Amino acid sequence: MYSYIARRLVFGALTVIGVSIMVFVVMRILPGDPLVAIFGPEGMTKLTDEQRANYMKELGLSDPLWVQYFAWVKDIISGNFGRSFFRSESVAEMILRRGPLTAEIALLSVLLSWIVGIPVALVSALKPNTIADSAVRFVSILFLAVPGFWVGMLIVLGLLFWFGYRAPMAGASLFSDPIANLQLVIGPAIVLGLGQAAYIARMGRSSLLEVIREDYVRTARAKGLNNRLVIALHALPNALLPVITLSGVLLGLVLAGSIPVERAFGTPGLGYSMFIAVSERDVFVMQNLVFLYAVVFVFLNIVVDVTIALLDPRIRYQ
Amino acid sequence: MTVILPADSAAPTVASRVRALFRGIGRFFRRAPLSAFWGCVAAAILAMAVTAPAIAPYPPLKSDFRAMQKPPSETHWFGTDQIGRDTLSRVMYGSRASLTVAIGAVLFGTTVGALWGLACGYFGGRFDMISQRIIEFLQSFPDLILAMAIAMALGGGLGTVIVAIAITRIPFGGRVIRSVVLSLKEMQYVEAARGLGASHQRLMFRHILPQCVAPYLILATTHLGVAIIIEASLGFLGVGIPPPNPTWGNMLADSLNAGLVPPWWLVLFPGLAITLTVLAFNLLGDGIRDMLDPRLRGSV
Repeated sequence: MYSYIARRLVFGALTVIGVSIMVFVVMRILPGDPLVAIFGPEGMTKLTDEQRANYMKELGLSDPLWVQYFAWVKDIISGNFGRSFFRSESVAEMILRRGPLTAEIALLSVLLSWIVGIPVALVSALKPNTIADSAVRFVSILFLAVPGFWVGMLIVLGLLFWFGYRAPMAGASLFSDPIANLQLVIGPAIVLGLGQAAYIARMGRSSLLEVIREDYVRTARAKGLNNRLVIALHALPNALLPVITLSGVLLGLVLAGSIPVERAFGTPGLGYSMFIAVSERDVFVMQNLVFLYAVVFVFLNIVVDVTIALLDPRIRYQ
Repeated sequence: MTVILPADSAAPTVASRVRALFRGIGRFFRRAPLSAFWGCVAAAILAMAVTAPAIAPYPPLKSDFRAMQKPPSETHWFGTDQIGRDTLSRVMYGSRASLTVAIGAVLFGTTVGALWGLACGYFGGRFDMISQRIIEFLQSFPDLILAMAIAMALGGGLGTVIVAIAITRIPFGGRVIRSVVLSLKEMQYVEAARGLGASHQRLMFRHILPQCVAPYLILATTHLGVAIIIEASLGFLGVGIPPPNPTWGNMLADSLNAGLVPPWWLVLFPGLAITLTVLAFNLLGDGIRDMLDPRLRGSV
C-alpha cells in the first residue's frame, strides 16, 4: 500500500513539473510578446520603444526564457506566486483570501451531488424502465445540457424579481460571519452540485445495474437476505467505486466550472479573480492561477486513486 | 488463371450508396425515434445558422434608438438590448458562431487526436510512451481552464477560440483511438496483410484506419455539446469571439452590463438557445453511439 502511494506521489510530482512547463509555454511563449497580451495589440502601438524596454526589464522579460522559467519556479517554491501586474496584492495573498470561498463551494457542491445523485440512481436502477426512471434519465440529460452559469443568472434574477433578495457582495469568512458566508456559497454550490448530480446519477445507475446482476448478489438473495440489506450491504458498496472516481474528476471540473458560475453570482471567490485576471489580461496572475488549478486537479486525482485503493483490495494488490 | 468476378460485385455506384444512406437513416428513425427527433432539432438549428441572414428579422448589429431595452413585443419577439438591437436576430446569428466554433474545434481536435492515437497505438515503444505523458499533462487541466489560458494567450477571435477548444479535445481522441488500434493491431487480417509485405503506411491507413471510423464519429458527436458549452463559457468570461459580433456567451455577458438588474429577456433567450442546442446534439450523439456500437455505451 505504501509503495503504491509513494509511486502515485512520485508520478504526480513529475506531472506537476510537466504541467508547469506547459503553463509557461502557453502563457509566456505562445503570445509571442507578453506585453501584447498585457496591453493588447492596440495599446502596444502606443508604447514607445523606451517604455517597452523599461517594462520588459522591470518584469524580467528580457532574460532568456529558461532564466524566466526558473525565476518563476523559485517564486512558486518561496510561496509568493508573483505579483499581479495591476494590483498591489501578491497572488499568494489573493489565493489565501479568496481560495477558501471557492473551496467551500466545491466541497458543498460535491456533498449535494451525492445527496441528490445517489438516491436518484437507486430509484432509477431498482425500477428500470418505469416512468420514474425515464423521468429521472431525462432530467439528468437536461442537466448535462444546461450551462451552470446561465442557471446561476436565472436564480439571481428570480430571487431579485420575486423576493427582492440579493446575496451580499463582500467576502465573509465561514468562522467570523457564518450566515453571510452561507448566503454567498449556497447559490453556486446548488448550481454546480445539481450539474454534478446528473453525472453521478447516470454513472450510479449504470454501475448499480451491472452489480445487481452479479452472482454474489444472487447468492445473497438466495440465502434469504432482505432485499434492502442486499442492496445496502452487498450491491451499493461495489457500485459506488466508479462513482467515487467520477466524483473526484468532477470536483476538478467544478473548480473550473465555478469560474463562470462565480461571475454569474458575483461571488468574490478565486474563480471570480480568475475572471478578473482574464479580463484585465493579467498574464502573471493567470499563469499562477492556471498552475494552481492544475496542481489541485492532479492532487485530487491522486487522492481519489489512493481512496479507491484503500477501499478496493483488488486494486491494492495489483 | 484469372478469377472472373460477377458484374454486380463491382464498385458500388453513387445511386446505390445514396440508397444505402437513406436506408441507414430510415433504420435510425425506426430504432431510435427519440434520438431521430432530436437529430431533426439539431438539423433545424443548423439550418437556422446557415440561413440566418435570410430569416433574421433585423440586422444583428443595427441599433434602434427608439426601442432600447424593450421587453418582448410583436415587433421584437425576444425584446431588444440596451442599445436597441433585436435579441431574436442576435440569437439567430449567435448560432453561427457557436456551431462554427463547436464543429470546427471538434473536427480539428478529434482528428488530430485520432491520428496521433493511431500513430501511438501502431508504433508503440518510446514514441507512444512520450505521447502518453504529453496527453496526461494536457489532461491535468480542467477543459475550461486550459481553453481560457490558450484563448487569452492567443488573443480573442474565431480562429483562436477554435484552436483553444480543439486542443482540449485532443486527449480524448488520442486515448480512445489508441486503445482501438491496440486491439486491432493484433487481429489476424492485419497480421495477414503484414505477412504479405504491406508497408506501415498501407497497414495504418488501408487496414486499421477504416475500423476507427465508428469510434471517431461517436467521439465527435458526443463532444459537440461540451464544445458548445465551453464556447459559451469563454464568451461569457470575455475571452471568446469579441463583441459586437453576437455569440450566445457574450450576449449573456452583455446582459450583466445592462445595469444592476439585467432584463430577463436578455438572460433567458440566449441561455435557452444554448441548452436546446446542447440537448439536441447530446441526444443525437447518444443515438448514433447506440446504433454504431452498443459495446461503447457509456465509455466515451
